[in-house]
Amino acid sequence: MVETPYYIALAGILFSIGAVGFLMRRSVIQMFLCVELMLNSANLVLVAFARAWGNLEAQTAVFIILTLAAAEVAIGLGIIVAIFRKRVSTNVDELSSLKG
Amino acid sequence: MIVFVLLSLLAVAGALGTILWKNALYSALSLVGTLLALACIFVTLEAQFLASVQVIVYAGAIMVLFLFVIMLLNAQYPDQHEDPLPWLAPVAIAGGIVLAGALAYTAFLFKAPKALETAAKALQGGTPGPVGETLFTKFLLPFEAVSLLLIIAVVGAVALVKREPEGKQVRETLEERATHTPEEVVA
Repeated sequence: MVETPYYIALAGILFSIGAVGFLMRRSVIQMFLCVELMLNSANLVLVAFARAWGNLEAQTAVFIILTLAAAEVAIGLGIIVAIFRKRVSTNVDELSSLKG
Repeated sequence: MIVFVLLSLLAVAGALGTILWKNALYSALSLVGTLLALACIFVTLEAQFLASVQVIVYAGAIMVLFLFVIMLLNAQYPDQHEDPLPWLAPVAIAGGIVLAGALAYTAFLFKAPKALETAAKALQGGTPGPVGETLFTKFLLPFEAVSLLLIIAVVGAVALVKREPEGKQVRETLEERATHTPEEVVA
């Protein structure tokens, strides 16, 4: 069995990649994909610790987080579509105004 | 260990693909690879139910939604224009390497609270039965809250993308009227 720290380290690396991508990319959709990546690395940490402690509650929490992510994506993509109709752009630099 | 190394290489490669492709479509497909690798890692972590949910909900439903929107908006190619923050990318990469190093170092400070074999046995393989039992006893309130959240999300998504019907003017609010027509008030 692979020890828990390796999984946590992998999750840390994935989280860092997601954070770097969020800063580097200027397309809203790609930034959103990076957020999903970071969310998944957090899930990996929870599942790894669930095995370390022999406790199923963390896995249940991950299940709820998955549902939450689905809701978040539905709303987020809805916002992106609404913005795209008004501005015809998915570039964050051009979306600097809060007023519709 | 070999399985873990292979799967983590796959996950990291997918993650790098997600942030390095200029084309958003390729980015999304790389992320699917990462999510599938994570699902396999979940199996090795005694979380079989979560692994299947990860494939169905994440790699399936959520990523299909992403691909739908990318293709619908025809937004796979980035807009060509001047980068207002040219120094951000190198700083982000340097910061990301430091962050990854710090997180990996911290991970190895973790002391296992009990022997891995006995702890893993307590999970009963993470099959739907035991997970569902926890979900409907200790996590009943979050479960109900999430169901409410999903309804709000569905209604919100529909409200966000709904078009205004033709010919129907957006009504001014009282506040807008008060701030927009000071001359009439004076006259």
